[in-house]
Amino acid sequence: MNQTHPGRYSRSVSIIGVGCTPFMYTVDNPETNGLTEGELFGYAALKAMEDAGITAKDVDFYFHGEASPLNGSNYLTPNSQIANWFGMKGKASIHHSEACCTGYLAIEQAVNAVASGKYNCVLSGCVEFGDSTPAPADNIETKKHPYKRDKMTMERFLATTQWLYDRNYARSFMAPMELIYDDAAEDYVRTRGISAQDMDDTLNWMAINNRRNAAKNPLALERKEFAEIAKEAGFDDVMAYMRSPYNPRMGDFLRAECIERKCDGAAACIVCATDLIPQIAKNLKHKPVEVLGIGCSCMEATNPHFEIRATEEAIRQVYEVTGVKPEEIDLFFANDFIITSHLIAAEIAGYLPYGEGWKYICAGRTAYDGDKPINTNGGRTSFGHAHAASGMADVYEACMQMRGECGERQVKKLPKTTLLRGYGGSQNVAAVMLRIAD
Amino acid sequence: MAIKLEKVVQKFYDSLEEGKILGRKCPACGAVEFPPVYACNTCGNLETEWVEISGKGVMKSIVMPAALSSKPEYDALGARNFAYGEVELAEGACLNAVVKGINKKKRKEIMEKDLLPVPVHAEIFQRDGYKTVVFVLDEE
Repeated sequence: MNQTHPGRYSRSVSIIGVGCTPFMYTVDNPETNGLTEGELFGYAALKAMEDAGITAKDVDFYFHGEASPLNGSNYLTPNSQIANWFGMKGKASIHHSEACCTGYLAIEQAVNAVASGKYNCVLSGCVEFGDSTPAPADNIETKKHPYKRDKMTMERFLATTQWLYDRNYARSFMAPMELIYDDAAEDYVRTRGISAQDMDDTLNWMAINNRRNAAKNPLALERKEFAEIAKEAGFDDVMAYMRSPYNPRMGDFLRAECIERKCDGAAACIVCATDLIPQIAKNLKHKPVEVLGIGCSCMEATNPHFEIRATEEAIRQVYEVTGVKPEEIDLFFANDFIITSHLIAAEIAGYLPYGEGWKYICAGRTAYDGDKPINTNGGRTSFGHAHAASGMADVYEACMQMRGECGERQVKKLPKTTLLRGYGGSQNVAAVMLRIAD
Repeated sequence: MAIKLEKVVQKFYDSLEEGKILGRKCPACGAVEFPPVYACNTCGNLETEWVEISGKGVMKSIVMPAALSSKPEYDALGARNFAYGEVELAEGACLNAVVKGINKKKRKEIMEKDLLPVPVHAEIFQRDGYKTVVFVLDEE
């Protein structure tokens, strides 16, 4: 397989501000029904500027990420449409889309722009309406209402996900589109030699752990713990509930609670040349978080085990370029819209030992209060999945954890180094290494 | 050879109509690209040339279709008698493919007897409006 050996940044770049909306079903709540792209993105962008102690005058450029702007916003150039909302009228920007990996590559784009020396301070934000489309939601060609939105049905969402796959061969061959769901679980069972029952328990525990984390996160979409849900359904044992028809088998391995909760949301960050922070962010009240390096790979879905192979390459790159060792990682995130990602990415990164990660998960050691915390915001199955914005929401959570500002869900040992494994878009992968300043 | 602006995809599908499965072979390192593309992903050579695929291969992993991973149009593959997985062609190329002739019982037998990889062969399969390539588990 092709490999890349990226070089070190020309100058150090740090995240100095982060902002994030709640992840939500906007259409379902009268208080949020009618929110627009500019309002969501603008809120996250302004919160990031506030967090950095700067204004839009200090920001040179902005990156706009959205996975599906034509379908979700009826825009071809979404970055152009919303800059006025956060004080950046006339400043240059660019839109990018790497589907569910957008939020992680949003950091890559912003850091490269500053590390190159072209800009000193850059905003990078992402927004997605994963649960609704501009009204009327009949098709993308009809004239749309200025702010009203309609719920996006699962049927319509699934019809649009084929756009993530190569039209020449992948869709024609069928299997490439379908293996995204269960390939990683099958591979884990076969290569680590665990039973299908052990894998079922591991998948369920990942969902339980994610929900335990989300229960303590006011920004999360789903906050009721499965133990409580089980009790309400008449189960004393949460695992008996998770194995029951209340959590039906949807894939060869996957159950319903192992799949993303698609929703709406936005998140943003401000990155700055580290040596210029005292000049640009004079009012910064917290430690900056340096982006040590980012590994990237991309494998189209016709390639066997595309998630695993691309993750191996991205992780190899980030360790090579940063010199960080797996044992230095204090906190790990994996974009787990298919929850198996959380297990396999943590093992590939060496955060959990090869072949043993499932035991850590089933023992609850990967929840926020465990010794190997993963996805402390609740992950895609509980925090929610506003596709492009999810990665940036993970960056938000990583920075807040490293700053010790996560309240009830603060991990036990204050993290110094965090690794995030982004994934999505059939299939982009990024491995982002962050470290808080001493 | 010279780098050509060429309708590779159309030729691939036209050839299926004629009963041939085509890939592209690298003249520099001999690696075969399947499905066919312009360049070599093994050595990076800028050109490849057409080659007919033998159709022989092995299946190296097995995932059964389920509610998440089925579509009504897949019924034509044979209800509950196909799987998805990694197929490695005799020519060396690997791809995610449909393999017919595998049901849950067969998968269980293959896994319990540790038979992977299992031999398969390519088949030209009629989809709605065009032909494509699937594989079939070899008879024992």
